[in-house]
Amino acid sequence: MNELVLIVEDEFAIADLLEMALTDGGYRVVTAANGRQGLEHLAQGPIPDLLISDFMMPVLDGPGLLRAMRETEAQRDIPCIIMSSIPEASVRARIEGYAGFLRKPFRISDMVQLVASVLAASEGG
Amino acid sequence: MTELEPNAAGNDDAEIKRVQSYVPGLDTILCGGFLSGGVYLIQGLAGAGKTVLASQIIYSHAAQGERALFVTVLGENHGRMMAHLRPMRFFDESLVPDRVTYISAYQALDEDEGGLKGLTALLRGEVQARGPMLLVLDGLSAVEARAGSRFEMKRFTHELQALALATDCTMFVLNSPSGAASMPEHTLVDGVIELQQRIYALRSERRLLVHKTRGSRYLEGEHPFRITDAGITVFPRIEAQFTFLTAPGSAPRRRVSSGIASLDGLLQGGLPAATMVSLVGPAGAGKTTLGLQFLSESSAGEPGLLFGCYESPDRLRLKAESMGLDLAAAEQRGGIELLWYPVGEHILDELAYRLLEAVRRRGVKRLVIDGVSGFQQAALELERMVRFWSVLSSELRVLGVTTLHTLELPELMGAEIRAPLGGVSALAEVLILLRYVELQSRLFRLISVFKVRDGAFDPTIREFAITDAGIVVGKPFEGVEAVLSGMAREAAKVAARGAAADSGADPSVEHRGPAG
Repeated sequence: MNELVLIVEDEFAIADLLEMALTDGGYRVVTAANGRQGLEHLAQGPIPDLLISDFMMPVLDGPGLLRAMRETEAQRDIPCIIMSSIPEASVRARIEGYAGFLRKPFRISDMVQLVASVLAASEGG
Repeated sequence: MTELEPNAAGNDDAEIKRVQSYVPGLDTILCGGFLSGGVYLIQGLAGAGKTVLASQIIYSHAAQGERALFVTVLGENHGRMMAHLRPMRFFDESLVPDRVTYISAYQALDEDEGGLKGLTALLRGEVQARGPMLLVLDGLSAVEARAGSRFEMKRFTHELQALALATDCTMFVLNSPSGAASMPEHTLVDGVIELQQRIYALRSERRLLVHKTRGSRYLEGEHPFRITDAGITVFPRIEAQFTFLTAPGSAPRRRVSSGIASLDGLLQGGLPAATMVSLVGPAGAGKTTLGLQFLSESSAGEPGLLFGCYESPDRLRLKAESMGLDLAAAEQRGGIELLWYPVGEHILDELAYRLLEAVRRRGVKRLVIDGVSGFQQAALELERMVRFWSVLSSELRVLGVTTLHTLELPELMGAEIRAPLGGVSALAEVLILLRYVELQSRLFRLISVFKVRDGAFDPTIREFAITDAGIVVGKPFEGVEAVLSGMAREAAKVAARGAAADSGADPSVEHRGPAG
């Protein structure tokens, strides 16, 4: 069974491109427009193998989403990739325990590569 | 650029809380800034500068500790938008995300998510949760496209206004113009600002135009602006800015030296203080030299400024040195400043603001503008020149500046003397003409005072020389006629030939006086 990736991103164009690229790469993909929608997906299941989240989003942002996930047993260990327009140092000051980071704007191929390596490390660990 | 105080009479909106734009020049146009809790439409084609303008406003406020929310509906992606802003000096990455937050509302606008109602709900939630002082909504065209009817669009605008008022959040809605000036958002918002890029032959100039600001005055018409690494700088059109003088003017009662004693004699005591002096003559006649001598009378107590478009400061220093004037030393002592704006694609109003800023900064009392044609070449609408010059002259008079400006005659010699830049020289209180004249196979330099408004002067035409001690004005150029035509004739010969002509002997002899 192919790995399932949940993309949480308010910028539709980015979410759309990522969905296409990862689907082409053989992954199953679901998307959510903000952190709250992301939590709804997680609650409904199935639990994804990887979560890619934007940092700044309406309703519930990336840090809020990850905090909520850490409080739920079933979601706590899902590896997360954060993507943001702000430097990683600013992100690290607000979120702990993410598996990968990409600064926007990025090349889609870089994200596909990062997804593969994070999943490989996660399976290996 | 120093923000100039709006000078329209009175200030009856002083009680309304204003939000500064931090965009140089814009608050002058808005007569104090935006109204707090208002909704402003900023429109313009792609590349007009809407995002830069909005970003400059919000980042400047964020730097003061305020919070701002940037909401995109379609538009650029946030990462690329920030990458584009990075070279701008107002952009500060460390303000994101705590002071400046970017979110996309595209999916909330999706029909399945509620369309305009979904967008309104999202905006309401975000404003209440984050408490921003400023909000930018980028992409109104996408909202319009999603609106099912004009009524729905009208309701959205109403709800946005209600939210802005209730939360005291000033909102800027960015839009590409649809050409429909009567769109609901135009009539319902508190202000409409349009950014344009006007093309003039090979040149283009950015212009800002306020269509309306509810409950506030503003400077009407188009105002040029630039986008540089410093962000946007607007130059309120001089004629609009100084429609009303910043202080009452007074009639000239004092005389100041021209720097040339013998010329002061012709002027019967020097130049009237705080007036505009027009120095007209062909290239090389000695206009700049005379200007430098006028400037050499400057001191720390009576500072001088040369605002030039042609000769570089180094060349001016050399020219002054050849007359025994040490400009560099005067600059070091703070008596003189040389500013050079070589002819290029300048903005006419920018030149005026640079000039006025330099005058105000040092309290300049002696000013040489060398020459007026540098301003003319910056003017994209030549019909502005006389009005522009009139307003600039008036403001310089109010500031107590005695200004000597040079105007170049296109012809080195010739029977006709057409006042260059028709109308500009007429605005001057004093008009001095420099001419070359040929007589008996020799060139002479002549100087004559044409006009001293409300004052007496010696009207004789004088020869002058440029020596290593500067300009020396000689005795009246007597015994010749048609001097100003450039082709002088000895008076006795002209009289004899005239008599002959009367008798039909020699009809070819002409006798022309100055034209214009």
